[in-house]
Amino acid sequence: MSLLKKIFGTLTEKPWEASQAAIDSTHAGKTFEISNQMSAVIIIFGVSTTLFSLIFTGYLYSLPPEQDTTFILKTNLLWINTLVLILVTIFFNRISKDLKNGVTNTIKRNLIYVGALSYIFLFLQLALWYQLMKSGNFVSTNTYFSSYYFFTALHGIHLLGGLYFWGKVSSKIFKLDEKDYNKEEKSINALSLYWFFLFIVWLVFFTIMFAYNDTVIEFCKSLIA
Amino acid sequence: MSDEYDNNKSYQAQSSEVLDGSAGSINPDMDYVRPAEIPEQDLYHAHSFIEKWIFCQDAKVIGVQYFLTAVFTGIVGLILSWLMRLQLGFPELAGFMTAEHYYQFVTMHGMIMVVYFLTALFLGGFGNYLIPLMVGARDMVFPYVNMLSFWMFFVAVAVLMASFFVPGGPTGAGWTLYPPQTILEGTPGSGTGILLMLISLSLFVIGFTMGGLNYMITILQARTRGMTLMRMPLTVWGIFTATVLAMLAFPALLVSAIMMTLDKVLQTSFFMPTILKAGEVLEYGGGSPILFQHLFWFFGHPEVYIVALPAFGIVSDLISVHARKNIFGYRMMVWAIVGIGGLSFFVWAHHMYVSGMNPWFGFFFATTTLIIAVPTAMKVYNWILTLWRGNIRINTVMLWCLGFIVTFVNGGITGIFLGNVSVDVPLSDTYFVVAHFHMVMGIAPLMVIMGAVYHWFPLVAGKMLSETLGKWHFWITFLGAYSIYFPMHYLGFIGVPRRYFEMYDSPYMTSTVGMNEFISVAAFIVGAAQFILVFNIIKTLKTGKKAEQNPWKANSLEWYTSTVPPEHGNFGERLPVVHRWPYDFSVPGAKDDFIPQTTAPSEVANTEVEKT
Repeated sequence: MSLLKKIFGTLTEKPWEASQAAIDSTHAGKTFEISNQMSAVIIIFGVSTTLFSLIFTGYLYSLPPEQDTTFILKTNLLWINTLVLILVTIFFNRISKDLKNGVTNTIKRNLIYVGALSYIFLFLQLALWYQLMKSGNFVSTNTYFSSYYFFTALHGIHLLGGLYFWGKVSSKIFKLDEKDYNKEEKSINALSLYWFFLFIVWLVFFTIMFAYNDTVIEFCKSLIA
Repeated sequence: MSDEYDNNKSYQAQSSEVLDGSAGSINPDMDYVRPAEIPEQDLYHAHSFIEKWIFCQDAKVIGVQYFLTAVFTGIVGLILSWLMRLQLGFPELAGFMTAEHYYQFVTMHGMIMVVYFLTALFLGGFGNYLIPLMVGARDMVFPYVNMLSFWMFFVAVAVLMASFFVPGGPTGAGWTLYPPQTILEGTPGSGTGILLMLISLSLFVIGFTMGGLNYMITILQARTRGMTLMRMPLTVWGIFTATVLAMLAFPALLVSAIMMTLDKVLQTSFFMPTILKAGEVLEYGGGSPILFQHLFWFFGHPEVYIVALPAFGIVSDLISVHARKNIFGYRMMVWAIVGIGGLSFFVWAHHMYVSGMNPWFGFFFATTTLIIAVPTAMKVYNWILTLWRGNIRINTVMLWCLGFIVTFVNGGITGIFLGNVSVDVPLSDTYFVVAHFHMVMGIAPLMVIMGAVYHWFPLVAGKMLSETLGKWHFWITFLGAYSIYFPMHYLGFIGVPRRYFEMYDSPYMTSTVGMNEFISVAAFIVGAAQFILVFNIIKTLKTGKKAEQNPWKANSLEWYTSTVPPEHGNFGERLPVVHRWPYDFSVPGAKDDFIPQTTAPSEVANTEVEKT
């Protein structure tokens, strides 16, 4: 609400009037009180949300009813991967909080957890791909699996991009004294938000893949009938 | 870098965008500005020729790199259009050209001009050069990423151009790349050609995202003191809104390019339905070609405004400066830019009226399309009202601006025709559509580009372009463009279809022979006239008159750098402080007919700014 107020407030200013000019001269140069790194993550958030939304839309648009969409209902690695991603998000959030509260002795350890769990997530994703292919479900098998592979690949690439910056920030942290960790606070907060975003995207994906399948569609139809 | 910056000081930045707080009170000191509280940017200064001119992190050099690369692609696109017109006007002289070649030229011309020329030139070229200068920043916020953005674009162009030299040549599927025919055998360039096109588009989008990130954050977060959003020149507003549009629309292009690549390479069926070929069922099945059309136009229509909005912003500033009058309805202009940007995401399916869509769907998109004409018309009125009673200088820049207004109104009005389903359906795929979109998003933005080149060349090169050559350039282009596109509307009305290699022997086709010859001759002349500018630039760089610091007597910050052309870091020791908007022209009581943005109120105490 305050963002809307801010936007509309700005757009109704009359910069040519003397009274407004006096107000404008107190302006320091920033629109939002956030760091450039955080701004970048929020913008990437917006761009990637559009990207993933279009994939979801495409998936929902083109899924023919006769395709096999029930594999996600069975126990498989997808559930474990989701758990791993939850853990990564929790650890990153903890790092941000610790930095804010001046608790520095856990930072390095939690950063290692974040990296290790993220790599485990990627490894398990590949293992799941291997399982699927072994059971005869390839990327060209049907549009359900095409979407599955496409989405998880893009999500993985986003995670790898995040891991590149995680590596840069971690190497800086490991070279710094504990008292200087807060120099990297902006970058860590931005990365923490990025991981949270990846987790949200994953949850939406998981929900859609889970919910939008033949069994659920049949169930809904039966309710309507 | 700044000696005013105190590291221990807490952030207290109050902007006019923040409505509550102490910023609302008027300080008794009329020249008061907030002390610098944001640390100065550490710039990476080049140490070698390669770092300074090739892998450079200075946004101005990157802007020029974008500009030159885009112009190169534009010249390729121009040559392709000449070849197409040669075939259409004088097929007996184009014996070397097959139908396949023609389709490939049509496709590459369209894609090059829309994406690699116009988009790259407006956002990459003008955006990089002007944003930091106009908002009072030393550079973009992430200069290294900005440099990567250009090189990604460069590689995208190289990959695209490589497709001319692969077996089968470039894709000839039409610039819309509609599946399924795009990737099926029988379409020119359906092998390596289409793959290179899709890879190139993906690289372009990734590169642009890096650049767009910089443009947005620099504008939102790195302006100088006193530069509120509503004190920014409309050029910056146009580029900013277009960047937001691009950041939201290009993902659709990326997704569709990747999906189509997968359909081609891994035999997925995102866009491929079950297909029978020579009695045999292909491996594809279950996909939707219409899904591609939706994704493509979800990108494709905002793309029109990604090109148009920077043009709107730039032309507003040029008109104001060269008519010596404040821009009429500044706020309305900003609202219109933002409004058009928002609405542009709700009109895409007007490109798909003949795809078999539900009539109610068509009704919805026809309505939204007509609504978008409202803010657009507001802008046209405001340009005219800015000129009204202005002290107009009929120089080359102003001629291009006036040419833009007339051309844009022309192209816009035919757009209103085509926005209506009942009018669009019979005119679909005729030359009427070709004439419409060339007028509104080809010639009109090109006129702004030309005006902008003549306006800002003294800043970039420190020399004045020849006015005489400029006027020749304008008049040949202006009259020539109308000679091409006015008759083309008529061709469309009588039903001549677009994308046809030859016109066959039907009565109405043969009746157009003379007109096609006329259009082709005009196209050759207009194309050749563009080299007047190239000649003018080369001549000026060699022997041109040296430009003074602010030759047009403009108010915006780019003309108040420490040196001309500006050095890396733009503003010398201290960043400028902004005291006013950039449109204080011909203010009653002022000594000069312009008051720069950096002029403190006490220096012009007895002036009264015209209400707008």
